[in-house]
Amino acid sequence: MTHAKTSTIDLAARWLVLGLLLVYTIYNVGPIFWLLLSSFKSRMDLFTMPPKLFFTPDLSGYQSVFGVGAAKDSASAVGVFDSLINSIIVSVAGTSLAVFFGTLSGYVCSRFNFIGKGDFMFFVLSTRMLPPVAVLVFYHLMFARLGLADTRFGLVLVAIFANVGLATWIMKGFFDGVPKEVEQIAIVNGYTRMYAFTRLVLPMVKGGIAATAGFCFIFAWNEFAFASILTTTQAKTLPVKISAASGATGIEWTQICAAGVVLIIPVLIFFYLIRKHLLMGMTFGVLGRS
Amino acid sequence: MSAVPMLTLEGLRKAYRGKPALRGLDLTVNDNEIFALLGPTGAGKSSTLLSAAGLIELDAGRVSLAGRDVTEADPASRDVAIVFEGFNLLPVLDVKDNIAFALRSPSFREDEKEVALRVGRTAELLRISHLMDRDVGTLSGGEKQRVAIARALVRRPVMFLLDEPLSALDLKLREGLRAELRQIHRQHQSTMLYATHDYHGAIAIADRIGIIDGGIIQQSGTIEEIYALPANVVVGKLIGSPSMAFFDAAIDDGHVVVKGAEQRLPIGEFGTVGTASGKVLLGVWPEDIEIGVADAAGASTGTIYAVDNRGFERAIQVDTPGGSFRKVVPLSMPFTQGDACSFRIPQGGGFLFDAASGRRISQMEARG
Repeated sequence: MTHAKTSTIDLAARWLVLGLLLVYTIYNVGPIFWLLLSSFKSRMDLFTMPPKLFFTPDLSGYQSVFGVGAAKDSASAVGVFDSLINSIIVSVAGTSLAVFFGTLSGYVCSRFNFIGKGDFMFFVLSTRMLPPVAVLVFYHLMFARLGLADTRFGLVLVAIFANVGLATWIMKGFFDGVPKEVEQIAIVNGYTRMYAFTRLVLPMVKGGIAATAGFCFIFAWNEFAFASILTTTQAKTLPVKISAASGATGIEWTQICAAGVVLIIPVLIFFYLIRKHLLMGMTFGVLGRS
Repeated sequence: MSAVPMLTLEGLRKAYRGKPALRGLDLTVNDNEIFALLGPTGAGKSSTLLSAAGLIELDAGRVSLAGRDVTEADPASRDVAIVFEGFNLLPVLDVKDNIAFALRSPSFREDEKEVALRVGRTAELLRISHLMDRDVGTLSGGEKQRVAIARALVRRPVMFLLDEPLSALDLKLREGLRAELRQIHRQHQSTMLYATHDYHGAIAIADRIGIIDGGIIQQSGTIEEIYALPANVVVGKLIGSPSMAFFDAAIDDGHVVVKGAEQRLPIGEFGTVGTASGKVLLGVWPEDIEIGVADAAGASTGTIYAVDNRGFERAIQVDTPGGSFRKVVPLSMPFTQGDACSFRIPQGGGFLFDAASGRRISQMEARG
């Protein structure tokens, strides 16, 4: 009897938890789902009240976004394709280089003592403390003088500057987790430190590299302030382009929704690719070292 | 034993961020001996081993290996092997490749046929042949340490540096592997410098022992030599199980008077004594202290503070006014906590140490 009662309560508790999880999932996924639906709606369907769940898919939003089909060469085309390419180039190059430099400097900071190391680490961290808006003007002046304004190269540089400090700190933490005896054993047995670093230590922190790359990529992909001030036409990234998306007929909501979906997809692809290493990286501290 | 020592360390000094770890350490390890470096955590054991391997930059001092000055030589050219407490197997390689690791390096490369042969032989020696294709993450602690030792052994270096190699293992594994190490040493004629904080482990495996504390070797020699003439209080505290008993005492009118005890020990019993009067520390090996001797002349009384059951014997801790000591007694002595316990220091059964510096001040020929 008691037993049956307990399991009833258990069951109720389980349903309650499931219900809460469902609400939370809808809360999180709902807007993205709404965005996805809206991107396939025609202008008419988009503003129908109550919103339609079932409608005839309309690709005009995507056509405008990529400047193809009926929207090709029309005035309503936003043409975000170029910005998508800009965003991908800037984010991938910026992330790769920031992680590359961050890994090297993280290793040095983890393994070697040098004069002013503490100050250096603080300086590295401090590069992330200033709000971008506070330094925008100076960047703008500098970039204009150097001919970097409105170039992808300029934005790649910004992505590196903005992320290399973070990458250094995260990677230092992961390198700290690798016992220094790994290199000592390699060196005593006749290997070089470079060999130990590239062939033994790096594979041990690949989860950390993936996690670091994940963080840097998100920052670089979503970066708005610098990209909006430092670009005018050529190098505009996707977030900047979308924010300014208005065609000849006012704000093109369908196009904005479609562009929003386009904006999400590369992030999904990136995290899908690194998912295996990411779990390792995120749980590194919890599971300990092998 | 050849005349040239395998390893000579002279005046090693090393500080980490201003904190000294080695303060002029001297040490000699003879060819084909196991030398145990016994000392507490932070005594400088690891730093000593790392300097022998060339893995730390010394502030001062000289390192010679087999008569060759290697102070400035890079680690690979020294031809030593090192095993750490933390195993430190390389997770990117399987067991086989971990053992073969050294034989594929630029400095010690062998052709693959030889590698396979030596890896197989070493694995057999350490009884890990069945683990060869395993991932190192799946091994147990004892297996991991066997692989780590095999990795060092496979190369036949001039010298092995073992930094607490067994400390992470449980007692049973530790004793088994220690005996095997000793066996391997006997069969293969190798020189080992074995750092440990475990007194039992040190005396079980070593030919000679060096007591290290505060970044210098306090005393080195065979265990018998150290027992016969401990150099100072630190040595007394680190040697023995239980370690040496120390009593506050004073030299008064040609006698050593232990604080709060009846006994007056004629100073002549201690051999030549450097000081004629004043405060000293009287050190006695617990094995020499007579207890349960209430009727004997000069017996003093202490209180049993703690009793540890050890199965076939028990260890008691006795508090006395002059200091407390621990001693192993047979089960036939029915002590319980709080009991009074009479004790006596036998004739000629102790050493006198300077109360301030801790140095031994009584000189005597080694006892038989």
